[in-house]
Amino acid sequence: MDENILDIEDLVVHYETEDEVVEAVNNIKLTMKKGEILGLVGETGAGKTTTALAIMGLLPERVGAIKKGKIKFEGENLLEKSKREMRAVRGKKISMIFQDPMTALNPVKTVGDQIAEVILLHDKCSKVEALKRAQDMLALVGIVPERYKDYPHQFSGGMKQRIVIAIALACEPDLLIADEPTTALDVTIQAQILDMMRALQKKNNTSTILITHDLGVVAEMCDHCAVMYAGEIVEYGTLEEIFDNPKHPYTKALYKSIPSLDKDVDRLHVIPGMVCDPSDLPSHCSFYDRCDEKCDACKLHDPLPYEIKDGHVVKCLKYQAREEE
Amino acid sequence: MIKYIIKRILYLIPIMLGVSAIIFILKTFTPGDPARVILGNDATQEQVDAKREELGLNDPVIIQYGNYIKGIVTRGDFGDSYRTGNPVLSEILPRLKTSGLITLGAVAIGAVIGVLLGIISALRKYTWVDSLVLVISMFFQSVPEFVVALVLIFIFAVNYHLLPSSGIETASGYILPMLCIGLSSVASYTRITRSSMLEVLSEDYIRTAKAKGQTDSNITKHHALRNAMIPVAQSIGTNLGNSIGGAMVLETVFGVPGVGKYIVDSITQRNYPSVLGGALIIAMVLTIINLLVDISFILIDPRLKSTIIAGGKKSKKVKETAAKAA
Repeated sequence: MDENILDIEDLVVHYETEDEVVEAVNNIKLTMKKGEILGLVGETGAGKTTTALAIMGLLPERVGAIKKGKIKFEGENLLEKSKREMRAVRGKKISMIFQDPMTALNPVKTVGDQIAEVILLHDKCSKVEALKRAQDMLALVGIVPERYKDYPHQFSGGMKQRIVIAIALACEPDLLIADEPTTALDVTIQAQILDMMRALQKKNNTSTILITHDLGVVAEMCDHCAVMYAGEIVEYGTLEEIFDNPKHPYTKALYKSIPSLDKDVDRLHVIPGMVCDPSDLPSHCSFYDRCDEKCDACKLHDPLPYEIKDGHVVKCLKYQAREEE
Repeated sequence: MIKYIIKRILYLIPIMLGVSAIIFILKTFTPGDPARVILGNDATQEQVDAKREELGLNDPVIIQYGNYIKGIVTRGDFGDSYRTGNPVLSEILPRLKTSGLITLGAVAIGAVIGVLLGIISALRKYTWVDSLVLVISMFFQSVPEFVVALVLIFIFAVNYHLLPSSGIETASGYILPMLCIGLSSVASYTRITRSSMLEVLSEDYIRTAKAKGQTDSNITKHHALRNAMIPVAQSIGTNLGNSIGGAMVLETVFGVPGVGKYIVDSITQRNYPSVLGGALIIAMVLTIINLLVDISFILIDPRLKSTIIAGGKKSKKVKETAAKAA
């Protein structure tokens, strides 16, 4: 148990506005071991970012509400911590890399100051020392340290993301959450950033949650993979299990929609229909409408997550029923 | 930077020429004879004709205009007031100082109160504090300035005898006009600050700062405020310009000898040199204020430094590299 850096139990997150309640994350369970890289995959609106923000304690105020569940980080429930205690966790123990590096940096502060800020907040040191360490961080992410006096607009998109990564890693966090770190970048830069992240991850053995909708990125980077759909984890397992032996119809459909280099196809495979409206989730399986393996029973029950094999969990009635027969 | 400032000061030349030309043209179309105005109704026609010749009013307009510009450029001479016979410049400068002082004080009062209220209402958005601030600022915006002036005079001068009701013989005479102009601009600063703060607070870099574990008050101070001040600085510039020459109503109410009142009086007296001189000097002051505001932008937002100042140089470099590449 002690080896687990992160234990999410039955987490439920709602966004509540005057008109509706959006059920963004529904009863997810997630366990991460130290040093592991977990891929969190799913389409837009599946609840990946919401899960990440819930861990950080950065859900939008007044709107986002954690209804149920525990987020245990190194054995302590983060949801029971005070605002002050959470501030000590953020940036120091858990860091986050955001999706869009273009807007993630303050335009009127030098990048050196922005990296030094997090160091000054968490580690007792002088301003001079913090700036020195900020320069070391710049060097670490492959930017000439002398550029610490420059402003964000003087850097390219890929370099800005390097700076964002430098901020996230400055205090050597135990857990790094990378929310689509390469989505806003072009493909060649994506590869550079991913290579760098992997190297830094190896070096510090930082546990990492990598949020993405790119299965290719997951295949390259991750040890474990969780597939999210409509606020639920529909399949979870080791990288090998998920890639070689996908069980959930949604996971299988995702693989089918990856363009293949060998086969000559005119149209890519699409999953028919739309993601169900999270403000009006069905009582049965949320993938029912789009599933091509559904049966009548699927409309009656919402399946429970079921461990079909050591560590391989699927949330589908098909596998649950088979086992019970 | 210096090159940019010089360039901006050179812009003064076409602005001045334009302003003076417009007023000169207006003057020629306005009925009434300045010579008659100066000498009064009792003067004989010969005296009037002699005065017209002396003032050069019989010359073609273009020659008059040329002489006027020549006078300014070679001698700093804006002409003499028809009414008093004193040089226009010496009449305007003390008034400009008075108006300038009142305007600076007013803008300081308005901006400090307005920005503070704006920050408070942005941080407490959609609460009763926010609504209260909104109501107060809308109140001051909707009540005309002279009404506020009369109320202030009633309270501070008539009832409590704390401050003089008019005149600027003592320094305390400045307080009521400053307060009055300042209060009437609070609303606009509050609203600009509030909306600008709200916009900035929803930016991604604020979330980055939160993710660093930074405290809310430090996020407001170090991350949000400076970014939110850009539109406020713009508005301060506009307000400074507006109230230097445009405060004649309040200058009348408070009996303050300011530039605005001087120009309005000069218009009713057909005292053209004073009108012309006043307009030109105000135009000059406005241009300089605008320049200062633009420089303050550069200090607030480093992104502008490269676009405004290095703009010329950079684009040249880009062109060169583009040409090489081609």
